[in-house]
Amino acid sequence: MASVEIQNVEKHYGGFHALKDISLTVDEGEFIVMVGPSGCGKSTLLKTIAGLETVTSGQLKIKGRDVTHLEPGDRGIAMVFQSYALYPHMTVEENMGFGLRMAKRPKAEIDAAVARAAQILRLEEQLRKYPKQLSGGQRQRVAIGRAITRSPDVFLFDEPLSNLDAALRTQMRVELSTLHARLGSTMIYVTHDQVEAMTMASRIVVLNGGRIEQVGAPLDLYTNPVNLFVAGFLGAPRMNFVAAKVSSANGNSATVVCGDNLKIDFDDLVETPAAGSSVTVGIRPERLRIGDPDAGNSFPARVNLTEYLGRETIVYADAGSLSTSGSDSGTGVFTIQIGDIQPFAPDTAITVGFDAGAAYLFDSNGKTLSATKPVTKI
Amino acid sequence: MYPRPIPETNRSARAAYVTLVTAVLVLWLLPLVTVMLTSLRSFEEVMAGNYWGWPKSFNLVENYTAVFKQTALARYFANSLIITLPSVLGVLILSTLTGYVLSRHRFPGNRLVFALFVGGNFLPAQIMMIPVRDLMVGIGLYDTFFALIIFHTAFQTGFATLFMRNFIAALPDELFQAARAEGASPWQTLWHVVVPLIRPALAALAILTFTFVWNDYFWAIVLTQSDAVKPVTAGLNNLRGEWVSAWNLVAAATIMVAIPPVAMFFLMQRHFIAGLTMGAVKG
Amino acid sequence: MMRLWRRHRHWLAPTLFILPGALLFGIVIILASVQTIWVSFFDWDGVGPMQWVGLANYEQLAEDPQFYVSLKNNVIWLGMFMLAPPLGLALALLLNQAIAGMKFLKSMFFVPLVLASVTVGVVFTWVYDPTFGLLSLIYGWFGATAPALLSDEHLVSFAVVIAALWPQVAFCLVLFLAGLNNLNEDLIGAGRVDGARGSAMLLHVVLPQLREVSFIALAVTVIGALRSFDMVAVMTSGGPFGSSTVLAYQMYEQSIFSYRFGYGAAIATVLFAIMAAFIAWYLRTLLRPEQETA
Ligand SMILES: Nc1ncnc2c1ncn2[C@@H]1O[C@H](COP(=O)(O)OP(=O)(O)O)[C@@H](O)[C@H]1O
Ligand SMILES: [Mg+2]
Repeated sequence: MASVEIQNVEKHYGGFHALKDISLTVDEGEFIVMVGPSGCGKSTLLKTIAGLETVTSGQLKIKGRDVTHLEPGDRGIAMVFQSYALYPHMTVEENMGFGLRMAKRPKAEIDAAVARAAQILRLEEQLRKYPKQLSGGQRQRVAIGRAITRSPDVFLFDEPLSNLDAALRTQMRVELSTLHARLGSTMIYVTHDQVEAMTMASRIVVLNGGRIEQVGAPLDLYTNPVNLFVAGFLGAPRMNFVAAKVSSANGNSATVVCGDNLKIDFDDLVETPAAGSSVTVGIRPERLRIGDPDAGNSFPARVNLTEYLGRETIVYADAGSLSTSGSDSGTGVFTIQIGDIQPFAPDTAITVGFDAGAAYLFDSNGKTLSATKPVTKI
Repeated sequence: MYPRPIPETNRSARAAYVTLVTAVLVLWLLPLVTVMLTSLRSFEEVMAGNYWGWPKSFNLVENYTAVFKQTALARYFANSLIITLPSVLGVLILSTLTGYVLSRHRFPGNRLVFALFVGGNFLPAQIMMIPVRDLMVGIGLYDTFFALIIFHTAFQTGFATLFMRNFIAALPDELFQAARAEGASPWQTLWHVVVPLIRPALAALAILTFTFVWNDYFWAIVLTQSDAVKPVTAGLNNLRGEWVSAWNLVAAATIMVAIPPVAMFFLMQRHFIAGLTMGAVKG
Repeated sequence: MMRLWRRHRHWLAPTLFILPGALLFGIVIILASVQTIWVSFFDWDGVGPMQWVGLANYEQLAEDPQFYVSLKNNVIWLGMFMLAPPLGLALALLLNQAIAGMKFLKSMFFVPLVLASVTVGVVFTWVYDPTFGLLSLIYGWFGATAPALLSDEHLVSFAVVIAALWPQVAFCLVLFLAGLNNLNEDLIGAGRVDGARGSAMLLHVVLPQLREVSFIALAVTVIGALRSFDMVAVMTSGGPFGSSTVLAYQMYEQSIFSYRFGYGAAIATVLFAIMAAFIAWYLRTLLRPEQETA
């Protein structure tokens, strides 16, 4: 049975249209991660599932039960907030048992639930402490513990790790994934961090401007984004986008020209663009190679800047009239990611190449036209 | 810090500064000090016109006992307490409720209701005097404790609502969302989350309301007549008329009336100042 | 029933919560204030039937010399009270030092603020007493005889206002001390680095940061001046010969002593109009910053 069903949910804040026709079915035990830029409606969607916001129209079901008009406490959900929202005047133990106390459960049951959650989250030693006596990571675990004690059908997380420093964030990420494996509960997790999305999700939901752009397994989305937005949002460094013109189109093949004279052939197009129309070509930084004039497609460029990250090297290269749009660096240069350490001095002339099969083609509305690429099975 | 702090090393400057401030303070409080001195003098001394010399005898105990024994001051004191304490309690309860709703619930007219509370709290008392007096006469509460308790509770709820609303609005919203997500009812949220978090505000409000109500004079003379219900402020003014020449006793009574709010202030100074500035400055 | 409650409690409960406070305040304060305006169109002795007289009370008021005395005195109160914020600021600047013992000294300065106005009135009646008061003592040092301030038609209002200024200055002092405590240290530091000192610092760096506090000090001072009643009642009962009455006192006197409730209500309405204009301005300024962010 589906764990959560969202059907045609709309949300207006006065004149502001925050959620636009959202439909999504979440299966039992899934770890759904919702990503999207700040202000795209992630928290709003999560709160409508929780019942903290009412929907303007549409329906919500949890475990087959229509909960659209139920109070949050009656929906079988538990929520973990970005600021943890721990009650400062209650001990860890009291915080974790709060929901059950409010539901007037017997004391023995509350104690057992708190003890179990504390054991899972290694908080046994902290039970008598107040939130202000805990570290950030511990507070985060208490907030999760508070959710666990209620044994909810669905866990909801709103950017729970964004207040932690980088090291702790990685640690908590692993812990949350472990917790999910152990409890097997349905979890819906909101973040703007694509690394969290890629690493934790069984399925990712990409939101933009109050609309769902694409839903799918992380590698599916990464390999086969349905549009330019998803392609650009997932992956760091960002995909390189270059404006292009369709020079000829034939059946489901087309040739496009980028800049002055970089010609790229696309076969097996999902949809064929009209000759002469404007399109965008995309290529991921790790699919670009340097110094390989024999590759199917190549163009000359000059090194602007090189970043040595140890595990990899990122080269920013200027290809003259062939310029990218919307890159991380905010300029028109290409981003090239190399899997080892290779020195490139600034101003070195290089040749950048790539396989035609690695490139993506988007129409002027951003829709992906290029053929579906094979996804590595894991 | 402004003005620039006087350096710790400059001991003489510091000493000079403290001396200056003390001198200003003595001038500042001089009117009160003279009343205090007078309250220590004997009746004979007052009659003889020794108001400024060193008291010939210290009649602290005699005068202050006499005030309680010979005048109705004790009665007035009890009346003031009977009026003030329930009013404070009422204001705390009502304003916690109104402040919570106005700060945490969106509903049409929220802003209007809030503006009415704030605006009403600034109205001069005379504006509502005639109808309020008429109302109290009409429901048979004129010249009873209830008339003053009801009025003060109502009036102070205006300021207290402004205060509470701003205080609760400054609390993190996620705490309230968490409580709701955990299934706490509005009442449970109020009792288990809001009340523990607003303890400092309650303390500040309690002392402020106590002072305001204790010090009220206008409503005391508008809504009461008999000594049996008159609070100390109105009582003191009566005493002044009755004991015209016994200045030492009137002085002692004056000091007695001032003691409760001053004592409250010194006991809960932090809360008083915080309350006054927060209430005025808005949370 | 239970289900109905659970489904609707998210708005029913808040309604129930706000109702007692809103009703009590609405009836006793707001409704009563509005009712006063209604009463001002009647001739009424407070007990018998009310007689509709239209604007007659206001017409009478316009010709009542006592009304103009009250109005003039209210202006004196307002004008003199404007001294409270600067005096409070000056005291605050004097006292804002972190030295052992200053905390206690500061609190002693606050004492007038918590005194009942009756207490202040009694204390100052003493100060002004022409035979044995503080004032007569000081005049005595110079071999002069103190004027009987409270029986002098021309000086009495000023004397009463000075007494009333005492707690009002203390109030402003509290506000400004709080303001000085909240100064942005970085800005002060930057000012020092830029070579600002003394009055230049005060004018260009400190005062701009005290804007909000000054606004509040000004507001509470204006309201305090318009509300003035207790001190007049305690110190002079409006005398001598009605020369120290203010609108609030005249209104009280007309209603309670002369049983002219309709006339009293008309005076109250005038006071209300003056106050309402001010409150509207205050509320607009108070609520505006929030509207911008909302
Ligand atoms: N209570 C509200 N009233 C009006 N607009 C709101 C409200 N809450 C959120 N919004 C708007 O809805 C949009 C989505 O907000 P949110 O869901 O919080 O974004 P995010 O994806 O960053 O979590 C934002 O543009 C925000 O300004
Ligand atoms: Mg958010």
